[in-house]
Amino acid sequence: MADSLRERTIAENSMVILLQGLQGQVTTVDLKNESTARGRVVNVDAFMNIRLKDVLYRDRKGQLTQLQELFITGRNVRYVHIPDHIDIMKTIESQLAKIHRVRNFASQGGGRKEYTKKSKKHSGATSETKRNEKIKGLRTKET
Amino acid sequence: MYMQPTTNTVEEPLDLIRLSLDERIYVKMRNDRELRGRLHAYDQHLNMILGDVEETVTTVEIDEETYEELYKSTKRNIPMLFVRGDGVVLVAPPLRVG
Repeated sequence: MADSLRERTIAENSMVILLQGLQGQVTTVDLKNESTARGRVVNVDAFMNIRLKDVLYRDRKGQLTQLQELFITGRNVRYVHIPDHIDIMKTIESQLAKIHRVRNFASQGGGRKEYTKKSKKHSGATSETKRNEKIKGLRTKET
Repeated sequence: MYMQPTTNTVEEPLDLIRLSLDERIYVKMRNDRELRGRLHAYDQHLNMILGDVEETVTTVEIDEETYEELYKSTKRNIPMLFVRGDGVVLVAPPLRVG
C-alpha cells in the first residue's frame, strides 16, 4: 500500500490500481525495448514502476537470464499480461477498498482527514466522486 | 461499485472511447504495432485493459539488390492485456474490409 497521499490519489484515479492488485501473482511484463520479464510481482507504485522477483528475463534477441530481482521503470512498460484467473473488477474494487479503509482510519477519532466530508449524510464515496468528476477517472463497463 | 458516475452525453474525446466499452476495438500503437481486442477498461492516460487481443507487429525489409520493400507482419494472441497509454496512437472501431 502506497504510503503517500499523493501516490494513493494517483493510483485511485488510474488503471495502475489494477496492476497494484496483481501483487504476488506471476506475470509477464513486455518492455518498450522489446524485451520481456516474467516473474512474481512484488510491488507496483502509482507511476507503474514494477518490482519483480524470481524473474526470467528475455532480451530482444531471445537470450534468457535469470534474475532474483528486477526493477522496471514505469516508462519502460509496454504491456503487462494479466493472468487468466484474475477477476479485474474484484481486484480493482478490493484495491480501492484498501485505500478507503486507510483514509477512514486516519479520520477516526478526529485524526488527520484526507478529504473533509461536507456532510455526515453523504458517504465518503459521494464527496470523492464529486471531486473525481473534476479529475478524469476510471471508467469501466457499468453493470 | 466505485466506477465514477458517467453522463450519457458525449462531451469530450474520451467519451467517444467510453462508447466503445465492452466492444471490440482497433488500437494503433507506436513502433508499428496494432491491437485488436475487447475494451474492458481505460483511463485518462489511455492505459487500457483489452481482452482476447491480437497484436500485429509490422516490419519492413528492404531487398539489398532490388531495393524492394517487403512488409512482414507477426501476430500473437494474448487473453488479457494491460496496455500502457503512452504507447497508444489511436483508438477506433475494428476496421471493416471492403
